Formats: sequence, C-alpha cells, structure tokens
Amino acid sequence: MKMKKFINAPENLTTELLEGLAASHASLVELGPDNMVINRALPQADRVTIVTQGGAGHEPALSGFVGEGMVDISVVGDIFAAPGPQACVDAIKQAEKGKGVLYVVLNHAGDMLTGNLTMRQLEGDSSVRCIKVVTQEDVSNAPRSNSDDRRGLVGCIPTFKIAGAAAAEGKTLEEVAAVAQRFTENMATLAVAVRGATHPSTGSMLADMGEDEMEIGMGQHGEGGGGRQVMKTADETADIMVQALLNDLSIKDGEKIMLILNGAGATTLMELFIIYRECERYLREKNIEIVANFVGELLTVQEQAGFQMFMARMDDELQRYWEAPCNTPYLKKV
Amino acid sequence: MLLDLDSWRSLLKAVAATWEANIDRFNEIDSAFGDGDHGVTVSKIARVVVRSAGDPALTSISSLLNAIGTGTMAVGGGSAGPLYGMVFTGLAEAVEAEPVDATTLAAMLASARRSLESLTNARPGDKTLMDALIPATESGQAAVDQGVTAILAQAAQAASAGAEATKNMVAKFGRARSYGEQTLGTPDAGALSMALLFEGLYRGLTESAAS
Repeated sequence: MKMKKFINAPENLTTELLEGLAASHASLVELGPDNMVINRALPQADRVTIVTQGGAGHEPALSGFVGEGMVDISVVGDIFAAPGPQACVDAIKQAEKGKGVLYVVLNHAGDMLTGNLTMRQLEGDSSVRCIKVVTQEDVSNAPRSNSDDRRGLVGCIPTFKIAGAAAAEGKTLEEVAAVAQRFTENMATLAVAVRGATHPSTGSMLADMGEDEMEIGMGQHGEGGGGRQVMKTADETADIMVQALLNDLSIKDGEKIMLILNGAGATTLMELFIIYRECERYLREKNIEIVANFVGELLTVQEQAGFQMFMARMDDELQRYWEAPCNTPYLKKV
Repeated sequence: MLLDLDSWRSLLKAVAATWEANIDRFNEIDSAFGDGDHGVTVSKIARVVVRSAGDPALTSISSLLNAIGTGTMAVGGGSAGPLYGMVFTGLAEAVEAEPVDATTLAAMLASARRSLESLTNARPGDKTLMDALIPATESGQAAVDQGVTAILAQAAQAASAGAEATKNMVAKFGRARSYGEQTLGTPDAGALSMALLFEGLYRGLTESAAS
C-alpha cells in the first residue's frame, strides 16, 4: 500500500517537524544548532541540568518534553536515528550551569554508540561534569539479569520527570543520577502491536502483521521480540501484560506502582481506557496500588497500532518527584 | 605505487559512487530486520565523502579522512554514522607519511579495525559490518608485500566474501538482533555497505590507473 502521510521532501522531515514543535510552543522551547531543542529557561538554570538524545519520528517524544522540570536540551538525529556525538558534546557543554549535567540515553545500538563517543570526548574536559544514565526496560527481549540487552522504550519519559524534579529540588548531580538510576532499575515495559507502521522517509513497512494477529514484545521501530499470537480481547491482553511486568519486577502484595499506557500512534484513547480499567481491577485484586499513572501518547511509532505498558515500583520520594511541577509542551503539572 | 592526495580523492569519490548505486538495495535489506533506512544513511555519508573529496582546503590525506570521519559522525544516521565515522578517523590516524605506501595502507586498515573494536563489542560471526571489515584488514595485511593495488584487491574480495557469509549468521547486534534465527538467509546491510566501501576503493584505484 502506498504511504499516505502529510509530508514534504522526506529529507526535510526532521527539520520541519522540529520547526513546527518550536513554533507551536515558542514560549517553552527554542531550536538550537544541529537539531537541538532547548528549554527557554535554561540560561537562568542554577541546578543540575538534563540532556537527552534520540531519533525523531516518535513525537511527542523526546523533544516534546523539553522544558522546566524535565529535559533542558534534546539532541535529535534523524527519523529513528541517533544524532552524532559532536552535537551531544556541544549540548552538554551548553547545558552545564556549574552543577553538572545528567545525560539520559535510551538503549538502542546507534544511541549507545553516540552516548559512548560523547562521554569519551568529554573525558578530561574539566569544564563539564556529566553522568550518563541508560534507560533499558523492555522485558520482552532479555531477562532482567541481562539488562544491557533490554531496549529503552517509553520509560525514558518518566525518568526525565523524576530526574528533572530532583534537579529542580536542588539535589547534586550524584544525587540526581542516583535517583534516576534507582527509578530505571525498578521499571519495566512491555509493548504490544497489532498493525505495523511505515517509515516516513522510505515508505517501507516497519512490520507486516496478519489481520488477526498481535505481537506482544514488539520494539518501537516495528522490530520483533515476543511471540505473535491470535488477537485477544482488551481484558485478556491487559492481564497477560500486567502479570508479565509484575513478574519481571517481583512486585508484591501491598506495593505501590506507576502505570503508564502509551499509545503507539494509531490505537485510540478509547482502547487505552478500556485496557487501563482492567489493569486497575487486576492490580486491586492483588492489593497493588497505582499511585501514579498516565494514559495517552508519550512516545509513538508513527501509525503503528498497539501500545506500551510501563510499570515502575514507587516510593514516597519518587512519587513526590512525579507530582512535582513541570512545564513542557506535552507534560504539564502544576 | 604510492597513493597521494589526488589518488585518495579519486578512491573516495569511487566509494561514494559505489554506495550511491546501491542505496535502494541497502534500504531493502535493512527493511527485513532493521528499520529500512540504511541506504538513507549511507547516502548521507556518501554526500559527506564527495563534499570533502572536493574540498581544496583539505590539503593532506589525514585531514581529508578526518574531515570525512567527523562529518560522517554528525549525519544523524543511527549506528552507521558513528561506526563509519570511526572507520574514517581510524584510517586517518595511521597516516604517518604521505603519500601512502603499501605498509602504511595496511596499517591504516588495521587502525580502522582497532578504532571500531574500541567502540563496539561486535565480533566476527555476529552479523555486522565487522564481518566484512575484519577479513578485509587481514587479507590486506597478507598482501602487503605485493603493493597497494594487491592490498585493495585482496581486501575488496575478502570483504565481499565476508558480507556474503553474513547470510549464514544469526544477528547478535542492533535491531536485527530481536529477530534471531529469522535473520538467516538475509545478509547484513552494514556488512554489505562495508564490502562496497572496499570495492569502491579498489575500483577507484583501477579506474584512476586506467585513465
């Protein structure tokens, strides 16, 4: 099937979408050189700052979360593709306000290469203190004991929120990194897809699925991971996924969690609410309390249909950071 | 035979032309188990190569290769940008004397390999571009006594065979890794573009020698 998307020249996709993001949220963010999206309030920041990097095509992630209380600079590559290390080095230097920089990298091959080269280039530069935290929480493609093989999915977004709030509270770089690390080590995501998307630059299908199939464990570029199975109801799907996440995190009776249902792009909010309702019922039955949640789109995969279910073990400190104020184009808390 | 700056400009332009002729093929192979954009990225790198190869301000082989390396890392093409960036800066690092003789050329290939090995844990058999690069550097080294043409001829042949052999490997790195044994039968897109880099170098040499 021919791709039907409202685009202009494919090579200008990333530039044009960032221009649109910046124009529509001009009071919060501005564009810098090399596809950087910068928090307008960064020049006044007297705290630890947060830098991240990643490909485009996942809107509102990642750059829709640049602003007070979350990300200070997001360095964007191209569609589904990491930026180069020099732009990240430049962004980290620009973000350094004397209190250090937390650099959040999602575990994908290209992002990790850029992350490692960036850190290597910053070694020996006494003007910058930077700690890198990697988000790697996809339970479908590797066991927890082998977390280096786990992909980074929607979990980067609440990680930005937690780290950003800790930074805003005046925590040191080491403290912010420790909180972010603790949160990431206690989070897990499982994705399900029912229909693939097309790559907006090439028009090629990212995944080709049968009419009555779903795939639990699909990555955020349509890459496989789990098992394909016959399409199930909302309640059946919710129960399978919640239980898989509870198992992975070893969540026990009486514990508190964050639950995020992140639509992949073409799944309706109606479906997400139906799923959420069953998750809540299933968890209540097990005496597990959802103390923080989000239902909607944070990190999408073009017009892929499906969603990512994210769960994290919470405590009072993490909950306070989640509820703290933030003002970004796509997440605001007062 | 020695490779001077003008020879390198020709060799590198031939690499870019060889890549450009195969963009659709890279995209198609990458669509099977990647996200289908390896050709898009290689095309961006090819443009960096052509731009630098035609830049009169780059007056030494090492500055030319370094400019390509830095430009390539910045293309924003996922893994391929940093990886090929390291190949070009790795080549540049070993240029101790210009023009380049056979010993230096073999050392450059070995340096490119070390440069990549410092960045990625992918090793032979993991179905990545290393499966083309490593045999190319080893065959090039083995031909060092026969001169630069033999080095590039042997390297191109070994890289091509290495890329072909990735058809029989199960992906252990990158997005293709998620597909495990389903990747059997399809070559690795990165190994193929690496093989064509060596083919382009060799073609550039034989074409400039013929002209």
